[in-house]
Amino acid sequence: MKRVLVIVPFPMSEENLLQRKQQMNALKSRPDIAFDFRATRFAPSNYVSYHDLALADFSIADVGLRAQDEGFDAICVDSMSDSGVNLLRSILDIPVIGPGRHAMLTALMLGEKFSLLAMWDRWSILYKKTIADLGIEARCASIRSIGVRPDNQALLQGKEDDIFPLLEETALKCVNEDGADVIILGSTTMHQSHAYLSSRLPVPVINPGPLTYRMVDIALSLGLSHSKAAYPAPLSPKTELLRRIGDRGAAFAGSAT
Amino acid sequence: MTKILTIVPFPMSEDDIARRSRQRDVVKLDAGTEITFRPVRVSSESFMSQHDWILMDLGVCAAGQSAQQEGFDAVCVDTMSDSGVAALRSILTIPVLGPGRTSMLYALSLGSTFSVLTQWQPANLRYRKVLRELGLERQCASVRSFDIPPDFHSLLSGKEDKAFPLMLETARRCVEEDGAEVICLGSTTMHEAHAYLAERLPVPVINPGPLSYKLIESMLALGLTHSARAYSPPVMPKPDLMAALVAGEE
Repeated sequence: MKRVLVIVPFPMSEENLLQRKQQMNALKSRPDIAFDFRATRFAPSNYVSYHDLALADFSIADVGLRAQDEGFDAICVDSMSDSGVNLLRSILDIPVIGPGRHAMLTALMLGEKFSLLAMWDRWSILYKKTIADLGIEARCASIRSIGVRPDNQALLQGKEDDIFPLLEETALKCVNEDGADVIILGSTTMHQSHAYLSSRLPVPVINPGPLTYRMVDIALSLGLSHSKAAYPAPLSPKTELLRRIGDRGAAFAGSAT
Repeated sequence: MTKILTIVPFPMSEDDIARRSRQRDVVKLDAGTEITFRPVRVSSESFMSQHDWILMDLGVCAAGQSAQQEGFDAVCVDTMSDSGVAALRSILTIPVLGPGRTSMLYALSLGSTFSVLTQWQPANLRYRKVLRELGLERQCASVRSFDIPPDFHSLLSGKEDKAFPLMLETARRCVEEDGAEVICLGSTTMHEAHAYLAERLPVPVINPGPLSYKLIESMLALGLTHSARAYSPPVMPKPDLMAALVAGEE
C-alpha cells in the first residue's frame, strides 16, 4: 500500500479537516493508495498577497519536510497556490503534486482554452503566477470571480443555495463571453460545488483536489517524479533551520489562539 | 470493468500487435481496466509528409468511430502524432487521448522544459507542428533524432545494442546541450528502450503509451472528457462514408 500525505494549508479542527477529506468522494474509482490529510501548524490568514504566499511556503514545507523520512510515497498540497511545492521538490525525491500547475496542464489536454472560476478576485495572483511560470498566457481565456469572500474552514457548507447559482452564472460567462473550453475551480475549497456545476455547464469542470489524487497515482505507477534539473537540490540544505522556523510558527499560532 | 480501445496506427499482424501491447505490462492499471489493441485498416508507410498524416487521420478515425457504440469507455491512439484524435473527439463523448499532446503537457508538470527524443530526422516536422499548435515552442528545449529509420512492426527488437546507446547519447545531448529537464520519448514504439534510458539519464523520461493509459483512467475516475466547445460535433456525421472509404483495405 502506498501512502500519500495531503497537506491542508490552514490549521483546523478535525471537523473542518473532514470537509477537506470529502474531496476523495468525487473519485469514481480510487487508486489503491492511503491518503493522510494533515493541516499546517500555522498559516497566513488568507492566500491573497505575496506576504501571505511567503508565509505559506514555510507553513506547508513544515508539514512536508519529514514526509519522505516518515515513509510517505508522495505529497499533495491542497491549495491552488501550489505553495510549498517548489521548496519541497527541491529537497525531496518523492513526487510533490500541486493542484494549480496540474489543473492547468490537464485543462489543455481537454480543450484549447481554460478559465479559472474563483470565489474572490483577490485569488487572481495565485493563478497569474502559475500561468506565467508555465508560459501559457495565451491559453487562459479568463479569471472570473463571484466576489464573495470565502470561508477556508467551513467551506461552502450551508451556503449552497446562494453560492452555487452564482458560480454557474459566472462560469457561463467564462464559456460564452470569454471562450473557455474548460473551467477550473479556482480553489480546492470549492469542491462541494463541483457536482452541481459539472452537471449544468456545457464544458468540462476540473475539480483540482481530486485531480491531484489521481496525478499521484500516475506518478507512482510510472515511477515518475519532478526533474532534479528543474528543482536542483540546495548546496547546503537547512533542514534544521526550516524545522525551527516551523516550530516557532506553531508556537506563535498556539499562543495566539 | 473499464474498457479502453487503443488504436494502432498501422495495419499489422497479431504478433506485431502483441509487441505493441506489451506497453501495457510496464504499468499497474486500475483493477478492472481492460485494453483492446486494434490496428487501422488504412495508413501510410511512414510518417514524414502531410500525405502520411492525412491518411493516418482517416485510418484512426475509421477504426475508432464506433467505439462508444461498441461499449468502450475511452479511446487511446497509439501514436505521438495524435493522428485522428481531433476527428474522434468531434464525434465521441467518451474520452479520446493521444500521447503527443498529453505527454508534452505532462512533462511540464515535472520540469519547465522538455526535449522530444525522436527516432528519425524526417519525421521531426510533425513534432514541430504539435508544438506550434500547443503554443509550447518556448518550453521545448529541442527535438532531437537518433536517426535510425523506424520499423513500426518489429519496433526496436534486434536493434537494442545499436539503438539503445545511440538513444542515450542523443538524450544526454538534449539534457546537457539543450537544457531539457524532462525527456519525452518521441514515439510509443520506443517503449522498449524506456527502462534502459530512465535508469541512465539524470532527468525523468516519459513513456508516452503507458502515460496515456493512466491519464485515461484518471479522466474516467474524475468524470472528465474533452470539451465539446473545443471539438464541435459535425452538423451531419458521415459514419458510413468514413467506413466505406477504408473498406476492403487491410
